[in-house]
Amino acid sequence: MTQLILGQLINGVIVGTLYGIVAAGITLTFGITGIVNFALGAFMTLGAYVAWYLTDHAGLPFPAAVVLAVLATMAFGAVADQALFRHTRNNLINGLLVSIGLISVMEAGILMTWTATPKEMQFVLPGVLNAGGLVVPKMKGLVAVVLLAVVFATYAALTKTWVGRAAFAYAQNPEAARLMGVRTRLLQSGVFIYSTGLVGLGGALYASLYSIDAGFGGTYVLKGIEAAILAGIGSVGGALLGGILLGVAEAIGSIFLPAAYKDAYGLVALVLILLLRPAGIFGGSK
Amino acid sequence: MLNWQRTIARALGATGLALALAGTAAAQNVVKIGGLEAQTGPASIFGLMPSQGVRMAVDEINKAGGFEVAGKRYTLQLISPDTQGNPQQALVQVKKMLEEDKVQYIFGPYLTNVFNAVAPYVQQHNNKVLLMGGATGMHGALGKPNMDFVVKTMPWDTGAAGYGSMMVGLLKKRGVKKVAILMQNDAGGKAVVDIYTPLFKEQGIEVVTEFFEPGTKDFSSTLAKLAAAKPDYLFPGYTDTALYDIVRQASEVGLTKFFITRGSIGPGMKNNAMIDSYIAWVPKYFENAEKTNPKVSRFVENYKAYYKTAFPYDQAPQCATSCYDHVYMLVEAMKKAGTVSDVPKVKAALLSTRYQGLWNIRYDTTGEAILDFDVVEVQRGGKINVTHIDPQQ
Repeated sequence: MTQLILGQLINGVIVGTLYGIVAAGITLTFGITGIVNFALGAFMTLGAYVAWYLTDHAGLPFPAAVVLAVLATMAFGAVADQALFRHTRNNLINGLLVSIGLISVMEAGILMTWTATPKEMQFVLPGVLNAGGLVVPKMKGLVAVVLLAVVFATYAALTKTWVGRAAFAYAQNPEAARLMGVRTRLLQSGVFIYSTGLVGLGGALYASLYSIDAGFGGTYVLKGIEAAILAGIGSVGGALLGGILLGVAEAIGSIFLPAAYKDAYGLVALVLILLLRPAGIFGGSK
Repeated sequence: MLNWQRTIARALGATGLALALAGTAAAQNVVKIGGLEAQTGPASIFGLMPSQGVRMAVDEINKAGGFEVAGKRYTLQLISPDTQGNPQQALVQVKKMLEEDKVQYIFGPYLTNVFNAVAPYVQQHNNKVLLMGGATGMHGALGKPNMDFVVKTMPWDTGAAGYGSMMVGLLKKRGVKKVAILMQNDAGGKAVVDIYTPLFKEQGIEVVTEFFEPGTKDFSSTLAKLAAAKPDYLFPGYTDTALYDIVRQASEVGLTKFFITRGSIGPGMKNNAMIDSYIAWVPKYFENAEKTNPKVSRFVENYKAYYKTAFPYDQAPQCATSCYDHVYMLVEAMKKAGTVSDVPKVKAALLSTRYQGLWNIRYDTTGEAILDFDVVEVQRGGKINVTHIDPQQ
């Protein structure tokens, strides 16, 4: 039993990093543009499909496919930002409506391009790591390491660079930041596009682990929002931790309770934490 | 009016009348048949091939000049919308078929959730329509009052001719003592668990069961839990969409033997380097059958010519239900019954017809198909063993 619990703890952490990367995208976008971008799930799906197509059909090596998938997602994000979201800055309702509309458009585009039949990428890194009976698929481990590194790099960039400090300043007081010379429009667009790149990366790596279909991103954006709320909106490191907590709650809950309801176990954890800390784990005392 | 003008007017009138009569006659000599399958979406693995097979048969019959019933020649008209596996959408489509298009014969559905959604409505048209589908949930409706419209084109798992009983017997012969069932938490998945749990227990095989939510992609926690029970075989289901992920992830936690009654051998073949045994009920293993059965090889060639694409060997076995053979069988039944519109008579004729097409098909007295099938085992490295079974012999 101990081995089973330990194994699921590791699995929960790994799955949680995928939730975490989406949560990081959500929290960044919300912090800078003031909208909850539900369409990030569709951007994740786009990243997954591009990576799958480039790997299995164009014959590119997986790392190159991932880089191109991220770039493609960011390019689409830039178009969406300039055409749509630029007009909804700091307007929660309009941003929400536009993002929901964009989900339909992107899903329909994916269905038209790649049909509704689910796709499964060839094995990128087959085999498992076996340490004292604890089994972790190699690719899953690699995906978790890459995602952890990217989230930590994002956190470091936000705290250690001028752009990062400008973003924090803007999130706290947009007017003061503008008066201090921060080019706010560029900053908002940059953060928006970077967030689409984050989830695009998550999607590209996801495609190496699971089969993909046009709607899978929707599930992940909901998990990402749960994770972001769990952590407290605005904290990138917290978003990662929120995702991991969610993943662990689902994995451990599935051991002791019916696995069919594992989505509920994460939600129970969310409710319990919000009862104790209404602003989330890293969201201050309120 | 001048004489020549009168002559032309009469000629035009006569031509118009003749055309109108011919049009009416042509309209009367068309039998409309419906299709109710998922042609796109995750469930299309079950519905695309049947809908394509029906279309091919309709085209072949019409190109051959149709068929004659009671001295009249008929052609078929197919109305086959895509349900996408969506029960609400399917209900709207069935209503249109019955109320606007006046369809009396519908092929499908394969999906139990679609059948459950449309059955209460179709029941209002009992004895005026036949719903000929492969849905697991149709089994419970057979022989029930006011359910005469149900004809189940997919054989049942249990009973003397049941493929499930035979496959569980096969596991018993291999000395299997414990099976882990992992099914989707919906009507179809629960039906499979209800069917197979007693079958395994009758054979003295212990069963551990877990369900998963539809749309689940990461099965690792559930599989780890099942692996801890040390089953000899994993019985996962029930669509290929889930099977690809399950087989891949199960083999990573050491579960390398699979027992499949709904789904293709595709997931086993794709992961053949990591599995030991993948035993699947395959209504027909076309790769072998086309070499030995001329009807099968002709069908494969005709399919490629008609759809101008490669033959889908992975999906083709789904043509065992509400597909190519079944259109020909329905036409045979209409000829035998001497009517195209008296549904109870056509149904009676259908249930007494034995058809030798791609499959050797007949119906039992309740309206459930009995047909020959293959049990395919994929072994490590991709080696395949095929056992052909005909319960009618």
